[in-house]
Amino acid sequence: MSENISNQSEYVLETRDICKFYGPLKANDHISLKVKRNTIHAIVGENGAGKSTLMGILTDTVKPDYGDIILNGEKVVFRNPMDACRHGIGMIYQEFMLAPNFSVFENIIVGFEETKGAFVDYKKSREKVEKICKDYNFNLPLDEVINELPVAMLQQIEIVKVLYRGADLIIMDEPTSTLTPQGIEGLFQAMRVLKAAGKTILFITHKLQEVFEVSDEITVLRLGKYVGTYDPKDLNQQKLANLMVGREVILQANKQPGEPGEPVLSVRNLSVYDQDNIQRLKNVSFDIHAGEILGIAGVAGSGQQYLSKTIFGLSKAAEGSKIEYLGKDITGNTPRENRADHIGYVPQDRMVMGCDVKTSIWENTIMGYHRAHGFKTRWLVDHKDANQFTEKVVDDFAVKVQSINSNVGSLSGGNIQKLIVGREFSQDNKLLLIEDPTRGIDVGAIEYIWGKLLEFASQGAAVLLVSHELNEVMELSDRIMVMYNGELYDGGKYGEFDESQLGLLMTGGVAQKYETIE
Amino acid sequence: MKPLNSLKHFLADSTKINVARYVISLIATLLIGYLLIVANNANAGVALREMFKGAFGSKLAIGNTIHWAIPCMLVGISAAVAFKSGVFNLGLEGQLYFGALTAACVGYMIELPPVVHQLACIFAGGLAGLLYALIPALLKLYFKIDEVITTLLLNYVAVLATEYITLKLMGGNSATSQTSIVTPFVNKTAELTPIIKGTSATTGLFLALAIILIVYLLYKYTLVGYEMKMVGSNLPFSRAGGVDSNKMFIIIFLVSGFIAGICGATEVIGVNHRFIAQFSANLGWDGVMITRVAANSPVGVLLVSFIWAAFKTGAMQMERATTLNRYTMNLLQALFVLFISIDYGMLYRKYKDKKAREAIKKEE
Repeated sequence: MSENISNQSEYVLETRDICKFYGPLKANDHISLKVKRNTIHAIVGENGAGKSTLMGILTDTVKPDYGDIILNGEKVVFRNPMDACRHGIGMIYQEFMLAPNFSVFENIIVGFEETKGAFVDYKKSREKVEKICKDYNFNLPLDEVINELPVAMLQQIEIVKVLYRGADLIIMDEPTSTLTPQGIEGLFQAMRVLKAAGKTILFITHKLQEVFEVSDEITVLRLGKYVGTYDPKDLNQQKLANLMVGREVILQANKQPGEPGEPVLSVRNLSVYDQDNIQRLKNVSFDIHAGEILGIAGVAGSGQQYLSKTIFGLSKAAEGSKIEYLGKDITGNTPRENRADHIGYVPQDRMVMGCDVKTSIWENTIMGYHRAHGFKTRWLVDHKDANQFTEKVVDDFAVKVQSINSNVGSLSGGNIQKLIVGREFSQDNKLLLIEDPTRGIDVGAIEYIWGKLLEFASQGAAVLLVSHELNEVMELSDRIMVMYNGELYDGGKYGEFDESQLGLLMTGGVAQKYETIE
Repeated sequence: MKPLNSLKHFLADSTKINVARYVISLIATLLIGYLLIVANNANAGVALREMFKGAFGSKLAIGNTIHWAIPCMLVGISAAVAFKSGVFNLGLEGQLYFGALTAACVGYMIELPPVVHQLACIFAGGLAGLLYALIPALLKLYFKIDEVITTLLLNYVAVLATEYITLKLMGGNSATSQTSIVTPFVNKTAELTPIIKGTSATTGLFLALAIILIVYLLYKYTLVGYEMKMVGSNLPFSRAGGVDSNKMFIIIFLVSGFIAGICGATEVIGVNHRFIAQFSANLGWDGVMITRVAANSPVGVLLVSFIWAAFKTGAMQMERATTLNRYTMNLLQALFVLFISIDYGMLYRKYKDKKAREAIKKEE
């Protein structure tokens, strides 16, 4: 946008009574908030608080049912997302919107190319991109192809992209979720630079620590309603958490480190190649003992997924690898054999691998149980047994269901996760492979699952916890290992290393790549 | 408790939507049908009456309807088994052809006592369909070739290959037209007994009903059925749950092919009493449409098959008695399938949103 707006009203953005209802669900219920120009404004709330819907409305990917958007003192109605973009609202999504096989430069200019008649004016576009990079101190490899670049770099590209499109108000949706601690620090610096240059940033998160680090103002949403806008100086983490959930929440797991027993799982020289024949795990070796939680930390895409998948039998281990479980070689065993051996698995992608939204709760709950533990006969579904087992999981794990015959799709994310975790915990498994057990669910459900996980391990089961949430690994694990580029590094015992030490290991102990902004 | 209430709302909605799906489709199809009939200078009332008469008006008419319902049920349930599990077996036609030819051969080449001979023909037909379905199944598993492509193309292979084999069985190149490319008649012992005299409504009806019942029980009570359903609903989830998905894929493909083969066999020993080259008037595709309308449910297949059969027989009477062409009915059937396939849930949600928006505006 142009410069002539900078002397206008104090607020760059105002929403008045924004409403969005999905059937009886009130995703946004009369939300009115004001965002001061030239600030970093955090929007916090639990999952389902209405943050994403509100941002969707601001960028016109969601049409509001009611309410006005006032931009720079003027009421605006967007016709389409491009229109919102032209009004100076830029959005950086959690999942980056970049075309993997195209160059950085092409990704930045797409849709908003400078033109010469019917043709793209590459020279002029390039000059514009280079000027932005120079002005804001970004150092981007413009001619490299996206899929060869690290995550932190991709985020910078997204930032340059919205600047190129003339964004004055930049919305960032959970921008830190894929970054290392060092990467996050770099991002915060970038945010401060943008602020200094006169931009306004809306920063959506549910990580409380970050809120206090960068934001000038904090707006809290709860269950689709606006709670209030606060000055960070008047709040602390505990107070903010209370505002978000409306009750006291303990964000610590209060783990009591126990004495590990006999080894349950021994992995030796495990190597895995993916379908493109790229080596994802490189000679990984470790043990997990009874009663022990081994946490695997690491930046997304470091190979952690292949670890649990391969042990469980969903990926193939390379020649020479050895996986031993209770003294028995299980290398190459199928998921069915492993389940029968009392190995449980909670996959990261809960909506695809963890459950089936189109079928009933009981049908989802007996998955795995139906063969591993079985019913009275080998051939028939014992409906009585199935119902009993489902009721037990639902009761033990406080899953809010209307009926066990309802579809899983009718449950909230947190309840689905409780159901999935509950299913695996209720089958007297001796080894549990668990990936991101609390990703994207609300604080209450996180607390519950953490408690259950610790309880499960204290009863003598071995747990391999793979999580992208460093805090989770640190709170729950007896021992931490860090995965970087397919290799494992020692991350110490419970409480031995702090966040920044682990963060350094997560990036291979080398200096951060996210270093372009001084 | 608010979220629970909203949940109830949504669930009730989904049932309503499914009822609406059929009601709207039926009304829309009838409406278009009416316009078509009027455009052809015919009387819609008369056309409907003649159709009904043709399908149910006499013992003979009912017999003809049952005659058509048998293959519809078999090929429909065969398609349902595959489609419910996400296996796109579009090769029903081909599997049916090999089933038919094999049944004809067993029927005329071998001497067996009456009932045993019938069962032998049916079993051989099923086996042939199963073996023919094995080809695309293996191609998918070992070479990752999409079964949609292979089954589609293998249909042509089957139609022409059975014609060629029949020609050879006849001992030469003497045939002048396709309809004269036929195997000898099957022995009397292999023929299915008519249950209504003078029609092709045979004991095949009981076989078709039994197979639908078996499939229904399979899904409802057995672990294999549970796994078949879950694999179709969400493959990665089932794999993580310890279901051997490759094995399930093969089982589903073979069961589907087996039933399609049986369908071919009943057509031969129940209706034509010999194999006629290119005899099937797209029966395999009827199966795909039937299971689509029935939403892959065995009970649904049973009902829809009878409706389909009634359309087939009724349309012929309609053609005889009015100026209308019987293909009008085919057109309407296809339209009905199209209307059924509309995403009504999405339309309903949009409508609800709009209403909510208006309600809020009124409030202010």
